[in-house]
Amino acid sequence: MTDLLETTALGLDGPAVERHGGFTISENADLALASLALRRDGTDPAPFGLTLPGPGGWVQGGGIAAFWTGPGQWMVEAPGGAARDFAGELKSACPDASVTEQTDGWIAFEIQSHAGANAITGLVEKLVNVDTGRICPGFATRTGLEHMSVFVIRRSEENLAVIGMRSAAGTLWHALTHAAARIQEGSA
Amino acid sequence: MTQLSGGLIDRGRTIRFRFDGKDYQGHPGDTLASALLANGVTLMGRSFKYHRPRGVFSAGSEEPNALVELRTGARREPNTRATVVELFDGLEASSQNRWPSLKHDFMAVNDLFANFFAAGFYYKTFMWPRAFWEKIYEPAIRKAAGLGSLSFQADPDAYDKGFLHCDLLVIGGGAAGLAAALTAGRAGARVILADEDFRLGGRLLAETHLLDGAPATRWIDRVQAELDSLPNVRVMTRTTVWGAFDHGVYGAVERVSDHLPDPNGAVRQTLWRITAQRTVLAAGATERHIPFANNDRPGVMLAGAVRAYANRWAALPDGPVAIFTNNDDGHRTALDLAEKGVTIAGVVDARPDARSLGRYQLFAGGMVTDTKGRHGLTRIEVAQNGQTTWLDCGALGVSGGWNPNVHIASHHRGRPVWDDGLQAFVPGEGGPVGLSAAGAAAGQGATGAALASGAAVAQAALAAIGVDAALPDLPQAESEFTAPHPVWHVPGKGRAWVDFQNDVTVKDVKLAHQENLRPVEHLKRWTTLGMATDQGKTANVTALAVMAELTGQSIQNTGTTIFRPPYTPVSMSVLGGGDTGANFRPRRLTPTHKWAKAQGAVFIEVGQWMRAQYFPRPGETTWRQTVDREVLATRKGVGICDVTTLGKVDVQGADAAEFLDRIYANAMKSLKVGMVRYGLMLREDGHACDDGTCARLADDHYVVTTTTAQAGPVYRHMEYARQCLWPELDVQLISTTDAWAQIAIAGPNARKLLERVVDGVDLSNEAFPIMACASLTVCQGLRARLFRISFSGELAYELAVPARYGNALIQRLIEVGADLGAVPYGTEALGVMRIERAMPQATS
Repeated sequence: MTDLLETTALGLDGPAVERHGGFTISENADLALASLALRRDGTDPAPFGLTLPGPGGWVQGGGIAAFWTGPGQWMVEAPGGAARDFAGELKSACPDASVTEQTDGWIAFEIQSHAGANAITGLVEKLVNVDTGRICPGFATRTGLEHMSVFVIRRSEENLAVIGMRSAAGTLWHALTHAAARIQEGSA
Repeated sequence: MTQLSGGLIDRGRTIRFRFDGKDYQGHPGDTLASALLANGVTLMGRSFKYHRPRGVFSAGSEEPNALVELRTGARREPNTRATVVELFDGLEASSQNRWPSLKHDFMAVNDLFANFFAAGFYYKTFMWPRAFWEKIYEPAIRKAAGLGSLSFQADPDAYDKGFLHCDLLVIGGGAAGLAAALTAGRAGARVILADEDFRLGGRLLAETHLLDGAPATRWIDRVQAELDSLPNVRVMTRTTVWGAFDHGVYGAVERVSDHLPDPNGAVRQTLWRITAQRTVLAAGATERHIPFANNDRPGVMLAGAVRAYANRWAALPDGPVAIFTNNDDGHRTALDLAEKGVTIAGVVDARPDARSLGRYQLFAGGMVTDTKGRHGLTRIEVAQNGQTTWLDCGALGVSGGWNPNVHIASHHRGRPVWDDGLQAFVPGEGGPVGLSAAGAAAGQGATGAALASGAAVAQAALAAIGVDAALPDLPQAESEFTAPHPVWHVPGKGRAWVDFQNDVTVKDVKLAHQENLRPVEHLKRWTTLGMATDQGKTANVTALAVMAELTGQSIQNTGTTIFRPPYTPVSMSVLGGGDTGANFRPRRLTPTHKWAKAQGAVFIEVGQWMRAQYFPRPGETTWRQTVDREVLATRKGVGICDVTTLGKVDVQGADAAEFLDRIYANAMKSLKVGMVRYGLMLREDGHACDDGTCARLADDHYVVTTTTAQAGPVYRHMEYARQCLWPELDVQLISTTDAWAQIAIAGPNARKLLERVVDGVDLSNEAFPIMACASLTVCQGLRARLFRISFSGELAYELAVPARYGNALIQRLIEVGADLGAVPYGTEALGVMRIERAMPQATS
C-alpha cells in the first residue's frame, strides 16, 4: 500500500458533495474504470459473469458495471475499486481482450434527484444534446457537454452519472452544479 | 389619445413605466407600444438617416420605427422594438438617435439635405480627397451611424442554453399553429409549440372573428388548456424560433425573464437548440404597405396594426382614422373601428371597382398622395378621379396585402415562389428538410383556411414519420379572402418611403435602377434596403415589386434576397450560452496543479491546459531571474517538471507494431520490448503531423506520446487510420493522457533521486539504459511507469503514476531530493534548456 496520499480530481483531500435543490451531486472518486476492447475476431467476453451491453447500453451485475463505448469496446466500472489494480483484474478475467487502465483518465460525478425522474430530464436538457426520450435507466452515451467529451449514464430513474476527463473536472463540476442550481431557482 | 373599451388587457391592475423621463401607466397585457399609444404618445423615434419623426408602424416583431433604448445602466438595450416589449412595472425606456430631445432633434437638419443622401451617397461622396477617408470621413460616418447606443458595461444578466427534441415542432401559436399542435398532441406525438408572443393566439388576438359563434379567445383558452394537460406537448410562449440549421435543428430564444423588472439573478434568456423530426411553420404573415408621399409620419400605420391596437389593446392615436387599401382586409379595420365608435375619416381603396362594406365614406379608385403633421399625422391628401381632397385624421391604416412569413422556410437557400392568385410569395422548394408551412405562412390567411391548413399539414408531417393522426374538430370560422389589387406604390414627386428603418424611398429604388444596380442583392446593398433589426419585413417585397415595375420583369423573376438567420434580433449574450470569464471554455489542470499553486507558480495557458510557467522565489523580481535559477539548478542538481499534458495513446493488438510502422516515418516494429524510440508521425499524405516517443511495454502493447497541442488531433488521426485506412489490422486504441500523471526528472542527480522512490529496481546505466522503459512500483507499491528519455539534454527520466497521486509524488520528490538540489521548473525553463541543446520545441 503506497504511502502517497490521493488528491481528488477537484484538487481536494476528499470527494466533493453538494446539494442543489432537488439534486445531490457527488464526486465518485472510488470508481475504478478500465477499457475493454475485443481483439480481431474476438467474441464478447463476460467479465465476472456480466453480459456486456450493446450500443447505448449500460448494465451492472456481479459487483461491476459496463457501458458500450464503440464497436467491440466497453468501459467497465468497478465501484470502490479505484485504489486497486482493477485493470489488471479485468485483464486476468478477459485475457484475450485489450484492457487499459482508465480510472484516473476520468472523473465520475453522480447526480441523484430527490425530485423524481422528471427533474433528471430537466437537467439533462440543460446539459447535453441527447433526446431525453431515450435516456431511460440503462442508457449510456458519449456526447459533448460545454465543449468537453463526456459519458452520460442513466443508472436509475433518479440517478444520472456524468463522466468527464479528469483534468477538466473543475469545469465539469461548475457546469453540473450551475445547471442544477438554476433548476433549483426555478428559472430554468 | 383614443382609449377604447374591451381589449385583452387587465385594467384591474396598473403598471407604472417611464418613457423619455416622463411617467406613464399601463396594464398587464400591454406592450410598450400599446401603452404609449394609450397614453397619447405617437412620436416614438427618429429615422436613421433623415431623423424624421416616427411612430409605431406595426403591432409585432416586424416593427421598423418604434425602436427604443430599454432599461438603464448596464442593462440598457438599444434598438429594442417597443411592439414586442411586454410592459412591466418600473420599465424605463428612452428614444434614441436624436439630440437633444425626441421632439426637437437638431440632426433633423439632415432632412433638408435629403437630395445629397440618396442611395449610394457614401460611395459617391467620399471618394476624394483620398487622404480624408481614414481621418475624416470614416470617423464622421461611424459617429453618425447606428441608432441606439451601447452601455459599454458588462452584461450583468445570466443566460442559459439547452437542448430539446421532438417529433413535431410547430413554429407559431396562431390559428394554424394551434390546430397543428392539437392534431399532433392528440396523436401522442412529442410536440413543441413555440410562439414569440407572451400569449397564444397569434392574429386571432387582434381580430374580432368568431369561432363557432364565440370570441376566438374562448377557443384559444380551451386549446391551450388541453395542450397544457398533454404530457407529450410543450408549449413555449415568449419563444422565438429564429433559424433553421442542418439536420432538423432549429435555434430558439426563450425570453425567460425579460418581462420582469429585474431577473434578480435568474436566467434572462435561454438559447434552445431544438431537434425536430418534422416542423410546421405557422409563423403567420406580415402586412405590407403602399408607399406614397410623406407616408412616414407618426400615425401612419399598417391597417392590421391599427386593428390590433384597437381590438387587443384598446388604444389608438387621437382623432379620426382613415384607411388606404388595395384589398378587403383594409375595410375590416374600418368596420372594427366603426363598431367601437371610432370616427372613420374615409376608406381610400385603390381598386376602381371597390365597394363599401360598411357605413363610411369610400374613395374607390383613390390614392393617398400626401400627408401633413409635423410630429404626428393631422391630414391626408386623397386623389380620386383627378380631384384631390384633404381629410383630417390622426391615424391612417395602410393595407397593401399580406406577405406570408416565409423566412424560416427559406433558410438553407429555399427560394420562395410568387403566387399570382395570392399576390404574394409563398414557401418554395429547397428549404429546410422536413419543414412544411401552414396557415398564413403558406398563403392560407383566412381563419377557417388557416385552421384547416394547420391540422392537415401536421397530419401529413406526422404520417411521414409513421404517426397516424386524426384531424380534430375545428371551429367554424370565416374563410373569405380576396387577393390585393396590385398597387405597389403611389406615383408622385414627393419622397415615398419603402423601408422606414433605413430611410429608403421609391426614389432610391429608381436611382438604383437608373444606375444599373437592378438585381435584388445589388439593390439591397446599394440602398441598404432590408438591413438592420427589422430586415425589411415590411419593405422587401414592396421594393422588389417597384424594381420589377421599373425593369418590366415579373416579380417572380425579380426574386428575393437570400433569407438568413436570425428571423428577429438575437442577443450576443444568449448566443454565447451563458458562461463568461473563467468558465467560458474548459480549463484543464495538471495533477500537480494544487501543489504548484501552493508554491506560487505562475501559470500559462497552453491550449486548454494551465501549466506552471515558472516558480518565483522571494527576492526574484523578474521572470528571467527565476528561469535562470531553474535552468542552472537543473543542470547542476535535479529539476522536476509536470509533463502530464503531453498526449498519451495506449496501442494494443496483434498488429500494433505494424500499425505504428505505418503511421510513423521511422520503424517501430523493430523496437524491443522495454525500450522507447523517438518518432515522427505522418499523415497518409506525407504531412508531418506530430513528433513524440513510442514505448513498447509488450509485444502487443505500446504507449505513444504526442505533443500537448496535438494530443487530440493525433488520437483522432490514429483512430481514422485504424477505422478507415487499415480496418484489417488488429489494433485497439485509447487515450490515457489524463490517466497518468507524468513527471520529468532531469539533471545529473536524477538517478539518485529516483532511486529514493522507486521500489527495488536497478536503475544503473547498464540495467536501465538510455531509452529504456519499464512498468514498476514506487513509494511502496504504487503502480508506475518509468521512461528514460530526455527533452532537455540531461540525464533524465519521466515517471508516470495514476493521476490522483501526481500531486503527492511531486511533493515527495522535492522533499526527498532536497539534499540533491531538487527544484521544480516550469515550461519557460524547459524551453530554455531545449533551445540550449538545439532541440526543437513546441513554438518552433
